[in-house]
Amino acid sequence: MTERAGYLPGLTDDEVDWQILRFGGADAPLEVAVPVLTDAQMQAMAERVRVASRDHLKTLTISQIIDIIDRAVARLLDRKDPYRRKAEEILPIVTGYDAEMIRLGLTGYLKTFRKPELQKFTVEDFANPLILDDFQPMPKGGFARAFGPDILTHIWAGNVPGIPVWSLVSGLLVKAGNIGKVPSAEPLFAGWFAQVLSEVAPEIADCFAVVWWKGGDTAREEALLKESDVVLAYGGNGSLSAIRDRVPVTTRYLAYGHKVSFGAISRAALDTQKAADTAHQAAYDVVRYDQQGCYSPHVFFVERNGRISPQDFAQYLAHELETFEKKYPRRALSIGEARDMATWRHGEEIKSFASKNRGLIGNADSAWSVAFVDDTEDLSPSGLNRTIKIVAVDALADIVPRIAPYKALLQTVGIAAPPAELYALSTALGIAGVTRISAIGHMTAPEAGWHHDGRFNLLDLVSITEIERSAEAAADTLAPYAD
Amino acid sequence: MTQDHIIEMLLAFIAADDDQPDTKARASEDAFNEVALQLFAYQFENNKPFRQFSVQRGRTPRTARSWRDIPAVPINAFKELTLSCCPPEDAARVFMTSGTTLGGVRGKSYHPTLSVYDASMTRGFKQYFMPDRDRIDMGILFPTETIMPNSSLAHYLALALAHFGTSDSGYMMQDDGIAYNRLFATLDQAQMSGTPYAMLGASYSFVPLLDEMKRRGLSFALPEGSRMFDTGGFKGQSRELGLDEFYDQLAAGFGVPREKCINMYGMTELSTQFYDRGNAICPSVKSGPHWIRSRVINPLTGEDVPFGETGVLVHCDLAHFNIVSTILTEDAGVETEDGFRLLGRADGAEAKGCSMAVEEFLKAAQA
Amino acid sequence: MDFTDKVVLVTGASRGIGAAIAKAFAAEGASVAVNYLQSSDAAETVVAACRQAGGDASAFQADVTDSEAVPVLVNNVLETFGKIDILVNNAFRPYVFDPENRKMFWELDWSHYQTQIDGALLSTHGLCKAVLPDMRRRAQGAIVNIATDLVARPTIPYHDYTTAKAALIGFSRNLAVETGPLGIRVNCVAPGLVYPTEGSRDTKESVKDMISAQTPLGRIATPDDITGPVLFLASPWSGFMTGQTLYVDGGLVMS
Repeated sequence: MTERAGYLPGLTDDEVDWQILRFGGADAPLEVAVPVLTDAQMQAMAERVRVASRDHLKTLTISQIIDIIDRAVARLLDRKDPYRRKAEEILPIVTGYDAEMIRLGLTGYLKTFRKPELQKFTVEDFANPLILDDFQPMPKGGFARAFGPDILTHIWAGNVPGIPVWSLVSGLLVKAGNIGKVPSAEPLFAGWFAQVLSEVAPEIADCFAVVWWKGGDTAREEALLKESDVVLAYGGNGSLSAIRDRVPVTTRYLAYGHKVSFGAISRAALDTQKAADTAHQAAYDVVRYDQQGCYSPHVFFVERNGRISPQDFAQYLAHELETFEKKYPRRALSIGEARDMATWRHGEEIKSFASKNRGLIGNADSAWSVAFVDDTEDLSPSGLNRTIKIVAVDALADIVPRIAPYKALLQTVGIAAPPAELYALSTALGIAGVTRISAIGHMTAPEAGWHHDGRFNLLDLVSITEIERSAEAAADTLAPYAD
Repeated sequence: MTQDHIIEMLLAFIAADDDQPDTKARASEDAFNEVALQLFAYQFENNKPFRQFSVQRGRTPRTARSWRDIPAVPINAFKELTLSCCPPEDAARVFMTSGTTLGGVRGKSYHPTLSVYDASMTRGFKQYFMPDRDRIDMGILFPTETIMPNSSLAHYLALALAHFGTSDSGYMMQDDGIAYNRLFATLDQAQMSGTPYAMLGASYSFVPLLDEMKRRGLSFALPEGSRMFDTGGFKGQSRELGLDEFYDQLAAGFGVPREKCINMYGMTELSTQFYDRGNAICPSVKSGPHWIRSRVINPLTGEDVPFGETGVLVHCDLAHFNIVSTILTEDAGVETEDGFRLLGRADGAEAKGCSMAVEEFLKAAQA
Repeated sequence: MDFTDKVVLVTGASRGIGAAIAKAFAAEGASVAVNYLQSSDAAETVVAACRQAGGDASAFQADVTDSEAVPVLVNNVLETFGKIDILVNNAFRPYVFDPENRKMFWELDWSHYQTQIDGALLSTHGLCKAVLPDMRRRAQGAIVNIATDLVARPTIPYHDYTTAKAALIGFSRNLAVETGPLGIRVNCVAPGLVYPTEGSRDTKESVKDMISAQTPLGRIATPDDITGPVLFLASPWSGFMTGQTLYVDGGLVMS
C-alpha cells in the first residue's frame, strides 16, 4: 500500500519528486510517498499561498472561516468519511499506537475544533473577534485591527496524531497563508486535513500547503524560512535552536520545545473508595500516546498519610497499567526506545537495592514500569513508554522546591485535590513555571482554547495596526463636512 | 566453592585445548554452562548486592539452567553497587571506568588476583593478534600502569609488552603526549630494516598522531607482517572519525593494510577481550576466546532478538569471576555466524512526540 | 500449560492431594517448594518425583499454623527459588472422614471447631500475608486454596471441618476483591471425596459406593483429578477469574 503525503496547491504529482518512507511491520507494510520540492517549487508555492491568502482568506470574515473549519472537522468526525476511515486505518500503522486509542483520541481531539469551541478559542485571545475583520474601537480610544501573516510557516515534529491540526487551525483563524512541514514520524494527517479543507471550501484551496523535507535539510528549510513572516516550530531544544539560527532576524519565531509534566495527588483522593479510581485516571494519562506528549506525566507526587499509602497507590497504578495493556496495548518499541526504557528501569532497580525507601514494580515482560520513592526526590523524566514514578510527599506544597530547577521545562500538572488545596497549589505552581493545570485523567486532552505553554496562540501570530485618536481627530478636520 | 577452587578451575578452563574452528560453537555449550553456573552460584553466595539483584529478577542458581539464565547486570550498576565476592579492601587491583558520565562516578572492578585476568589476556591476545609469531617490535601509544594504576587498558598493554614485545619495544609517550620524534625515528628504522612493527594504543591516540604526520607531511610503509591495534573508540578524547575513514588513514599513514588493523573491544567490566580479524570491512565481526560468550538481547525483556536483528550486547565472561560474570552493556550489536557486529553505543531515542527524554532533560536542566 | 520458570509453593505437599499437585506442577516444568510438617522422607520422595517429572523441587519443613514459622518458610523459598508465582494452600489439620463414627453436633466443643479453623484458615491467612510482598512487587500472582464440596452439599455433616472450609471460601472471596487491583488472583478448588488419601484411608467401601452412585461421572475422585483445576486456576488460562470456587467432584455438586 502506498499513500501520498502532503498538499501542494499548484503542483501536479508528476511535477514533484517523491521519496518513500516505510512504516509497519511485515504483516502490514505501508509506503508513504513524501514530496521533495525544488527551491524554485518551494518559492513558487510560497508566492501562490501568499497571494491566495490575501485575495481569498483575508476577505472572509472570522465567522465564515470558523464555519469552514467546522465543516471540515465535521467530515473528519464522521466515521464513514473516506478521510476519517483512512486515518483510522493508516495512523495506527504509521505511529504504532493502538488503533482503538487513535480512534478515540481523534474523536476527542477533533471535537475541540467544532464551531462552538472555535468561537471560545477565538474570544480567549480576542475580546472582540471582529478585530480580525475590521478596525474596532479601542477602550483607550482610537481603533485597532489584527492582521495575520501572509506566510505562516509551521515546522511540526513527533508522531502524536493530529497535533499539526492545532497550529493549522490557529493559522486559519488569523487568516494567515499557511505552509506546514510534516515530520517523518507522522507525515500524513496534516495533508488529509488540508485536502478536506480544500474540498469543503474550494475558494481557499490555495491558501495553505503541506510540504516535507528530510530533517537536517537546511537548504530546503531556509528556502521556506526566508519567505515566512512568522515561523512556528515544534521539537527538541537542539533542533529548535538550529532553526532559530536560520530564521531571518525580522521574522517572528515561536518555538514550542519539549516539556515535562507531572501529577499531584492529595490524600483526599486516597481513601479506600477513591484511590482505585484515582489510579485508573492516572494510568490513563500515562497510557495515552505512551507518554509521548508534552502533557504526559512522568512523575506522580502522592501525599503520605492518606488511607491508601503512596506505595499502595503505586501498586494500584501498576495494576491499572496492566489492565490498560489489554485494552490499549503499547506500541512496539524500537531498540533505542527499549534501551532507554531499560536504562530507566535498571537505574531504578539498582537504586532500590541501596535504599529501603525505593522500589520497582513490574516484570521484565511487563509493558510498563512503576517506580516508587518514599524519600526526597526531584522531578525527573521517566523512561517514556509507560514508565512512571510515584514520589511520596508529606504535603503537596513540598513539590514546589522539587520542580524549581526546571522552570523552563514545565507544562501540565494533573491535580487531584480539594478546592482550597487546588487553588493554593496552583499559585505556587504557576510561579514555578507550570502553565496548565488539569484533572488527573485529563492531562493529555487539553481543552479547546488552552494557552499552549502559557502563550496566546492566536495573538502571538498577528500584528495589530492601530489608528490613534489623533489620526481620527485630524481626519475629522479634513472631512468634506467639516465646518 | 572457595576462591582458590574457582581460580584453579578457571585457569584450567582457559588453558584447555581449543582446536575447534573460530565459531561461537567452540568450547562445548555444556562445558561452558557448567563453569558459568558454578560461578553464578559462587557470586550469588558471596556478593550480597548481586544476590539481591538476582532475587529481584526472580532468578537464583537453583533455577538457572544455562548461562543464558544468569541475570545480566547493567554496567551502570558497577557505579552504584560494590560488586565483589572478596572484601573490596582485599583486592590486589581495582580497575575503574573513566567516569565520563553520571556525575563522574566511576564503575569499579575488584580483582583479588590478576592471575585469571592475565591468563585470559595473554591467551586471547596470542590467538587473535599474534597467531603467527611469538614476539614483535612494539610501540605503545598509551600511558604506563604506573601512571594509570586503575586503568585496565594500561595493564592490558603492559602485559602485551611484557609477553609479546621484543627488547626493542616500548612506550612511545612523554609527559605531554606522544613522543613523536622518537616514534617517527623508530618507524623509519623499522621501514629500513624490514622488521615488522606493531603499534598499539587507544583509538583516540591515533588521531593526533595522524594529524601530526599530516602536518609534517609524513607517511610510512611498514614492512610486511606489521600490524596495528586500536581499542575503545574516540570517547570525546579526540575528533570523531568514521570507521572507514579511520582505517583508511591508518592504512595510508603506516602502509599496513586494513585487514591487519585489529580492533580490540574490551571493557573495565570484563576480564576478557573481543577482537576482529582486521577491518577490511566495517563494522567488523568481533569474537572472543572460548571462555566468553555473548548474546544480543532486547534490553527490556532480556530475551534474545531474532538472529540478525539489532539488539544490545550481553557478555558472559568466566574470567571476571570476582565481580559478576554476566553484564548488560550499552552497546548495540548484531549476531553473526561467527560472533557479532559491534554497532557502537546504542543511541538514546528522542521522544516521538513532544515529551522530554532523559538526555535532553539533563542537558536542558544544566543549561 | 507451561510452568517453566514459575515457582510454586504447595503446603502440605508430602502426601495425598498436595503431593499430586506438586508433581503435576513439576511435570509442567515448574520449580516446586514442597512444604511438609513431619514426614521428611515422604517429602523427599515427592521432591524426587518432581525432578523425575521434569521440574525442580525442594522440601521445606514448617508448621504453617505457626505464625512465626510461616514468614521464615516464605523467606527460605524466596532465597532458594528467587520468587513465588503461585501459592497453593492445601495443608489442613488431620481429620478422619468416617461417616459412621463421626461426631454429632452435640458431641462437639468449640475447641473442635477452633482446631479445624486454625488448620484451614490460620495457615492460609499467614501464608497469604507472607507471600503478598513478593507478588505485589511483581504485580502478579495466583493463590489457590483447597476447600471441599461439602461446603455446598454436606452429604455427611463433618461440622467442624466443613465450617472451617466454608470460612476459607469466604476468606478467599474477600481477599480476591482486595488483591484484584494489585494483579493477584485468589480462587478455590473444592474436591469431593478423594481416595486414596490419609484422611479417606478408612472410609468404608459402602460410603464410596454410595457417593459414586450419586455422582454423574460415576466414581469418586483420585488425587490426580484435583490437579488439573488447580493448575488451571494458577495459569494465565484463568487470567480473568478470581474469587471463584471450582467443584471437582464428578458433578455431585452443581452450582
